Amino acid sequence: MSSPAVPEWTGVALSVSLVAVAVLIAWRQRLGLAREVMIAAVRAGVQLFAVGAVLLFLFKHAGLPGGFAWLAVMVAIAGQVAGRRGKGLYHARYVATAAVAVAAAVTLGVLIAFGVIQSAPRVVVPVGGMVVSGAMQATGVTLSRMVAEANGQRAAIEARLSLGLSGAQAFAPHRRELLRTALIPTLDSTKVVGLISLPGAMTGLILAGVSPEVAIRYQIVVMYMLLAAAVMAALAAAELGQRMLFTTAQQLR
Amino acid sequence: MSRFDLREVTVRRDGHLIIDQVTATIAPGRCTALVGPSGAGKSTLLRLFNRLDDPSSGTVSLDGEPLTSLDVLELRRRVGLVGQRPVLVATTVYEELRVGVPKLEREAAAELLTRVGLAVEMVDRPSAGLSGGEAQRVCLARTLAVDPKVLLLDEPTSALDPAAATAVEETLCGLLGNGLTAILVSHSAEQVRRMADDALVLRQGRLVESGAVAAVGYVNGAQA
Repeated sequence: MSSPAVPEWTGVALSVSLVAVAVLIAWRQRLGLAREVMIAAVRAGVQLFAVGAVLLFLFKHAGLPGGFAWLAVMVAIAGQVAGRRGKGLYHARYVATAAVAVAAAVTLGVLIAFGVIQSAPRVVVPVGGMVVSGAMQATGVTLSRMVAEANGQRAAIEARLSLGLSGAQAFAPHRRELLRTALIPTLDSTKVVGLISLPGAMTGLILAGVSPEVAIRYQIVVMYMLLAAAVMAALAAAELGQRMLFTTAQQLR
Repeated sequence: MSRFDLREVTVRRDGHLIIDQVTATIAPGRCTALVGPSGAGKSTLLRLFNRLDDPSSGTVSLDGEPLTSLDVLELRRRVGLVGQRPVLVATTVYEELRVGVPKLEREAAAELLTRVGLAVEMVDRPSAGLSGGEAQRVCLARTLAVDPKVLLLDEPTSALDPAAATAVEETLCGLLGNGLTAILVSHSAEQVRRMADDALVLRQGRLVESGAVAAVGYVNGAQA
């Protein structure tokens, strides 16, 4: 392993000049975004600093239970974010949280059970974070499409309900379509991984001094686990979300 | 024979009163029209009969049984609905007719098309190429496929051109009677006089007049 290419804190401070360039361009072009760029940059810096401090504490003192607790917090936050995309769906945030939790638990469970990744907090937390993030994306798109389908195709759904079909049967043709739509972004990024830019896990490992041959092993695991997490999250969101679309009397809410 | 009883039925949506304590009977084996000005609550009331919606308070009963005590999927097979605009959900006419009856045989499909005044050869036509009148009659055939005892008709001809409207109305008149109970929402007094036996007049969600069509002032030129 070669020496890691990690910037010192002085380097981090100097990188603020890049933010200054962005602010200058926004200001000169009168985009009205200079203030937002600065706020975004400060927020990102503060949030990452805070997360770094928490993770340092977690890895040193809290062990694996602490790691899983942090993952649970991530799942809860991801559920809120993805749930917002399903605005209009009854209990959208609960559905989103459950979908992300199921996808994360199964994906990480399989990886840990098969010994693909170590069950140490410094592995479980970053890998789990990637899984939760991927699951969140897929869940958000699924719920957003679901609400759009239910609103836009209300007449067709109620036509099927009026023939004595259950809510699940009435929504089935729309569910297939929205799942396909929700999964296409993940499938596309899996297909072109490495062709357009080096993916994040691999980049981080190479910067830390790990050889590319070792880094790609991790990256392949990451890509497959993201694919699985996205598919599971989308499916769970569709299944649970569909139940929330209809009342117990099979009425479209 | 299927008889509906409404007892003090009220519907509120987003704080607005849509139906206000309506008590009425839909007689079995007859066609009852729901009439009134736009926004009176006619379509909202119609949707209660197959539980696409439920009342906020009060009860709707079918042959003495509250609708909430009946299996909702069985209820909707017994109480069919034809909407204002034809909504086709399958790729071919045959597939449309099979939506409610997946095991529907081609011969039975052909019979249904004949019953609604369409040519048997249409069974394999793509749904997308149908005219408004043809599509509405396919929707009617699709509803009849599940063998309902009650037909809910929500302005079934209002979205059609005059020729298609006449054809669909004639088809419906041919189906009514024979023990079928029908509830017709229509804003056309002439259509109500042609098709219905009884009328319930709604105004701002309240039942203001009811009785045989010939005796109901609103249908015969008076204002509600």
